[in-house]
Amino acid sequence: MHNLVLFGLIICVSSGLTYKQDTFTEELLIKPLYSEQLYAHFQFSTKWDVDLDVEQFRHTHIFPRALGEIIERHNVQELHVTLTEGLWRYESWGYPIEDAAPGAEVWAWFKPDTIDVEKNWKLLANSLSGLLCASLNFVDPSNSVSPEFTFKPKGVTLTQNVNNTFLRYATLPREIVCTENITPWKKLLPCDSKSGLASLLNSGFIHNTRYHSIGLHLRPVCREDACQHMSLELQQTVSLVYDYAIMGTKNWSLKKLFGQAVNGRCDLADKSEIYVDITSKVSNDFNLEPKPDEVVTSIRGGQVSTFAKYTIKNYFMSIHSVSTGDKISVKAPPLLHANQYVTGYGQERGGIVTKIYNNHWSSLDVVVLQNIPWYVPIYLHTLKVISDNKEVQPLALRYIPGKQRLKPYYVEVLVSLPPRSITSISVDFDYVFLKWQEYPPDANHGFYIGSAVVSSYLPLARNFTGLPQDGSTIADSFNASRSGYLVQVRTENMVITLPTPDFSMPYNVICLACTVVALAFGPLHNITTKRLRLKVKNNETILVKLKTKVINKIKGVFSCTKDNDDKPKKE
Amino acid sequence: MSVSIKVSFLLLFAFINFSRSQLPFDFSKKGHTNNWAVLVDTSRFWFNYRHVANVLSIYRSVKRLGIPDSQIILMIADDMACNPRNPRPATVFNNANQHINVYGDDVEVDYRGYEVTVENFVRLLTGRLPPGTPRSKQLLTDEGSNVLVYLTGHGGDGFLKFQDSEEITSQEMADALEQMWQKQRYHETFFMIDTCQAASMYERFYSPNILAVGSSLIGEDSLSHHVDPAIGVYIIDRYTYYALDFLESVDPQSNKSMGEFLKVCPKSVCISTVGVRKDLFRRNPDHVPITDFFGSVRPVELITEIPKLLPKPNIAKPKNITIEKPKKYRYIPQLVNFDSFKEK
Repeated sequence: MHNLVLFGLIICVSSGLTYKQDTFTEELLIKPLYSEQLYAHFQFSTKWDVDLDVEQFRHTHIFPRALGEIIERHNVQELHVTLTEGLWRYESWGYPIEDAAPGAEVWAWFKPDTIDVEKNWKLLANSLSGLLCASLNFVDPSNSVSPEFTFKPKGVTLTQNVNNTFLRYATLPREIVCTENITPWKKLLPCDSKSGLASLLNSGFIHNTRYHSIGLHLRPVCREDACQHMSLELQQTVSLVYDYAIMGTKNWSLKKLFGQAVNGRCDLADKSEIYVDITSKVSNDFNLEPKPDEVVTSIRGGQVSTFAKYTIKNYFMSIHSVSTGDKISVKAPPLLHANQYVTGYGQERGGIVTKIYNNHWSSLDVVVLQNIPWYVPIYLHTLKVISDNKEVQPLALRYIPGKQRLKPYYVEVLVSLPPRSITSISVDFDYVFLKWQEYPPDANHGFYIGSAVVSSYLPLARNFTGLPQDGSTIADSFNASRSGYLVQVRTENMVITLPTPDFSMPYNVICLACTVVALAFGPLHNITTKRLRLKVKNNETILVKLKTKVINKIKGVFSCTKDNDDKPKKE
Repeated sequence: MSVSIKVSFLLLFAFINFSRSQLPFDFSKKGHTNNWAVLVDTSRFWFNYRHVANVLSIYRSVKRLGIPDSQIILMIADDMACNPRNPRPATVFNNANQHINVYGDDVEVDYRGYEVTVENFVRLLTGRLPPGTPRSKQLLTDEGSNVLVYLTGHGGDGFLKFQDSEEITSQEMADALEQMWQKQRYHETFFMIDTCQAASMYERFYSPNILAVGSSLIGEDSLSHHVDPAIGVYIIDRYTYYALDFLESVDPQSNKSMGEFLKVCPKSVCISTVGVRKDLFRRNPDHVPITDFFGSVRPVELITEIPKLLPKPNIAKPKNITIEKPKKYRYIPQLVNFDSFKEK
């Protein structure tokens, strides 16, 4: 009997394996960010050798079927969702592996044969809101844009020229991220959070951080070097930034960071590894315990990095780090970073300024994308690009004006930043009144404007940790020198206070009382201060007026001409 | 013609009588085939932390007693767990001694933030949702469903406030439940509400098979239990605190009754009087197991014979004889080519 069951299992497993080839890797990168923070990035990557155009997602092996059904139903070619709490501080932390805007950010490419992109986008957002327990159902055409330059497909395509009408991008800056989002996210992993690196994602620990971001990135990739077939790749990421001030010490261990050590690898994973970036040992020395299995040196874009590599075995494993040297380290700011803020005062007119810092010795070409909500009407003629106190002409400008309640304001500017410069892009807007029902329950909190996206190809990989376009694991980013390194810097969200009526009771009482007083006061004032006197308008008395009227009427009846008929009427 | 109809009618009656006599004795007792829960917190803002703790207490209990997440609709109007004011991120506790983390490590909130509106709540109950609503946001009940409806927030005589900006009246609530009944969307409903003047919310109910309990009578305030100095606000309400206390002693196999649950929180500890309405409910609550509403039935069909699985039919797929041209996929540059704009 037991043998039979075992045999059945073997058949099941082997048929599952032969059905379609899929691989799963799990990786964790821990990187000290200068001397104050610690960056931990989880990278779970599933690759499945299927053709996205043919696959029906009736049966999946490692790939999450729930997600497969959604992308099949809505004709999605590429999907990127990030849910982020906190802001990535580029100027002091360098670049993250995955850029993400605070709040929720979602962008998707639909297949070129999609008939109704708008409808599919709305339904996709609805489905995702159910899948990730986020309010993504608030994504609709009124806050989505189709950027022409910023978001190209990250995966493979058949054509060189892609049509951006099949792209949709939206942000929900106010979205909160908590355990309820990571719970369904973890269920998409093949081992759930039962074993492997995902077991480290204990909500009490990962939410006690300066920055946490979860991501879901799905795209088609090359199956082989010749790239004649496509595979489907799903990257699930979690980025965390721990603050030594919150932790109380610079000595960290897996248990201190995540509440527990790794309890073995996920059995379905082909690769299960932990990397610790030990490049910064030069300035802030620390000792790792146990000793790494291997030390990997990566030379990429002029930057040399060293990583301690641990392969997870099938027993409990923890990594401790004890800080030994505490020298002062010089922060090298990244080549490009940006800020965004609101200018002006009062509740009539304001402005949005995006400040872009180029710390490189040569000029940098950047694309700045802004998705401004419809309740912040901007004036294009006030758009100014000022670089070091000189007005600069943008290389190109794309603008689609918003429409109240229907469409946001979309601005995309191509600028060439002069060497070592600060460039600011400013635009003015008006504060508008909303309809009474459109104010949210906490209107006094303010309204959010999403972050701007500043994209550029950097010539150097200083502070750069991102994955190459053709890579899907952290290991793929080692020694991956390319001609340029894409960064997409997200700026801060902005909060503005629209002129909000006071919905509270005192306001209503004051309004009503004032109206009553005003209505009563007018007539009373008139009666008490003015004397009423009868006034005759002409010398003619009413009797005389009546007499002439009657005589004229009689005259009109007897005469035939229209002339006579008209006269009394004109009188 | 008419004779034949009469005859057939008679036959039909006879059949009905016959089948009735064949029903097992306890048929009416166990009528439900599945369990659902709709748990709603209607209050926003940090000072209403206790309402979130209330709703999560019930969520924790029904989940522990076996209702799966797919059959729990949880509506929370504000984020307390990851609120910047919360000194213990990703937790919501039921008392200041951090006895139970009611938020837990595995939670799925279906409606949150601005989504918690009267419209969405009534649409959820009545099933009139817009197309494209995901499955996790739908109440997919049927005539065999026992539904637990739990509401908490700020209320008054005949209304419950949603997010401090709109209200649901007791009449609207009663009409929504009547619509559910007419659409055969429930078998029995247990309506629980923890708010001031809670009894006013269920007094207008007129649909059958509803058992209702409220934390206070009309004219009474429901009170909170105690302050947690670490968060600076009240942590939970009295009625739900004692309800959770009771539910913690229940396990899926326990034979505690609804009657016992309705006696939870006597006036000496609750300060308000717990109101109960039983007249619409056809069974005696003392004989109803508490797991009829807080637990979950999982229909299990026992089979005596081992079914034989047929071998997989070998469907030959029509092979494409036309030789496809080898495709050439490629990665395209991630950004626009700036030089094309510079030349102009």
